Amino acid sequence: MTDLAVEVRGLRRVYQARRGAPEARTALDGIDLDVVPGQIHGLLGPNGAGKTTLVKILSTVLLPTEGTARVLGYDVVEHRQDVRTRIGTVFGSERGLYARVSVRRNLLFWASLYGLSGRVGRHRTEQLIERVGLAERADDRVEELSKGMVQRVHLARGLIGDPRMVFLDEPTTGLDPVAALDFRALLGELLAEGRTFLLTTHDLDEAAALCAEVTVIDRGTLLMTSNVRDVGRRLAAPDRVDFDAEDNMVLEKLRGSGLVNGVSELDKPGRYRAEATSKESLTSVIRLLADEGITSLSTSPPTLEEVYLQLVGDRGMAV
Amino acid sequence: MNILRVIAASCRMQVAETRRVPAQMLILATSPLFAAMFLSVMKRNGDPTVLTNAVFAPALISLWFMSLDLGGGMISNERWQATLEGLIGSPSRLGAVVFGRIIAVVGLAALTFVESYVMARLVFRMDVRIVHPLVFVLTLVVTLFAMAGTATALAGLFVLSRNVLLFQNSMTYPFYILGGVLVPVSLLPFWAQPVTRVFFLSWSSDLVRASMRTDAPGWAWQLAVVAVLGAAGLVGGLVLIERVVRRVTATGSAAMA
Ligand SMILES: Nc1ncnc2c1ncn2[C@@H]1O[C@H](COP(=O)(O)OP(=O)(O)OP(=O)(O)O)[C@@H](O)[C@H]1O
Ligand SMILES: [Mg+2]
Repeated sequence: MTDLAVEVRGLRRVYQARRGAPEARTALDGIDLDVVPGQIHGLLGPNGAGKTTLVKILSTVLLPTEGTARVLGYDVVEHRQDVRTRIGTVFGSERGLYARVSVRRNLLFWASLYGLSGRVGRHRTEQLIERVGLAERADDRVEELSKGMVQRVHLARGLIGDPRMVFLDEPTTGLDPVAALDFRALLGELLAEGRTFLLTTHDLDEAAALCAEVTVIDRGTLLMTSNVRDVGRRLAAPDRVDFDAEDNMVLEKLRGSGLVNGVSELDKPGRYRAEATSKESLTSVIRLLADEGITSLSTSPPTLEEVYLQLVGDRGMAV
Repeated sequence: MNILRVIAASCRMQVAETRRVPAQMLILATSPLFAAMFLSVMKRNGDPTVLTNAVFAPALISLWFMSLDLGGGMISNERWQATLEGLIGSPSRLGAVVFGRIIAVVGLAALTFVESYVMARLVFRMDVRIVHPLVFVLTLVVTLFAMAGTATALAGLFVLSRNVLLFQNSMTYPFYILGGVLVPVSLLPFWAQPVTRVFFLSWSSDLVRASMRTDAPGWAWQLAVVAVLGAAGLVGGLVLIERVVRRVTATGSAAMA
């Protein structure tokens, strides 16, 4: 037994060839992952990276081909019933609910599937309806709701069993900015209640804002797991200095110094960014700028987005 | 017990959905027409022994048709709505959900018995005398159970096998014959009779007829046979549905192999 919320070792998943899909496809190719309890762990990666496959295996609806995965200490194959009673899964899809019946009827149904008695189920249902802000629409059919509202029903559905561990597969796609903020706030509350989250998202700002740790996977392999605060340090990616400059003299001097990879102008006119060649040269760059009388400068490590782009590469639409 | 709660919740879900899509229960509208057709033929014929057939055959036909139609498509439906994975990932069994929904279907379809009876009494002014009400009621209850059990088996079978699915449309009329719904099984050629006896409906239709006769010998064990056949269907169905679940988790899709 371990204290990790999720512990994945050497996980592989191959989708066998079948009618309509003539080639076998390796969706996960030996993944290791640790998720520390009580935090939000981000799972990032381009389309087809294997994120949903991983979430499905962890939520016991898909079997691994090789390797092991434990959730809250229970093996997802051997002890799947123990896993199922303790987790919740939220898929960011418009489907997956009973569209013809009301929000409330959906939640009551799922409540009984998670073993709640009538009274407890009704209570939990009303609580969650309130919590996701659907009190006024609770009697509406799911098919009458907007995409973002459906998303909230999904979230409520995922929480109906009061899970310790929650898997969120792109839960904020289709939410308007305000709703996305509400969602983040709600996630914060749920986190404070001691739950653990594994969140897949394509929104890197969201990941940076919410997650304590992030894992990047691509083509079924792990590229990086890192604390979000230190993510910039994980790479050989250089540190940058942003500064204001009145004339081009400084820029020429910098470029000629051999201390920087390059200098580029930022969105704001007169504001520039120099990329230091190394940690050591960063200090020299700052000294050089100070000697030129430039004091409005700031340094920053690469953002999650920059790290991500460097890891995954500029692949465009290719998958 | 939790499994009963799941069955009840699934039953309620089915009823709630049916209320939104009443067309699913179109059979309740067509069944009286069927009954009228049978009744007018029989009335002209004037043979009282076939009268009971005329009254309840349409109901049994509707019941079988509904179970085949809605029961058989139950799991595919969950797949199309993308709720199947949620069900599989929940702590409850998919079989309990399917069975619960089927109970609702069968229960609603059973209203055709009432319709047939009302049609015979009020429209055709026939004297439908149920000599053994106890036998009749028990037959009805046990038959509905057997129907639900059999439909559960079909729900699993239709997902597991493409071939069976192709048969779905042709699984109506042959079964009315095999089930002794239209004519008593005893009138079928002798070689066909053993085949009919593994089909619960053949016993049920005998029992319905028996409940309207003054003599109804051996109804107790006939009822037991219906119950056993229904239970066998249910158990077989639950096993098949577990196989569906295993296939979905193994292949990542509920598509037919
Ligand atoms: N049921 C399936 N059968 C066959 N191949 C599949 C199946 N599901 C996923 N795949 C394949 O596995 C790979 C990983 O897919 P997955 O859905 O896990 O990616 P993802 O990271 O969630 O992508 P996205 O960001 O687009 O949601 C893809 O190449 C995909 O085509
Ligand atoms: Mg995905």
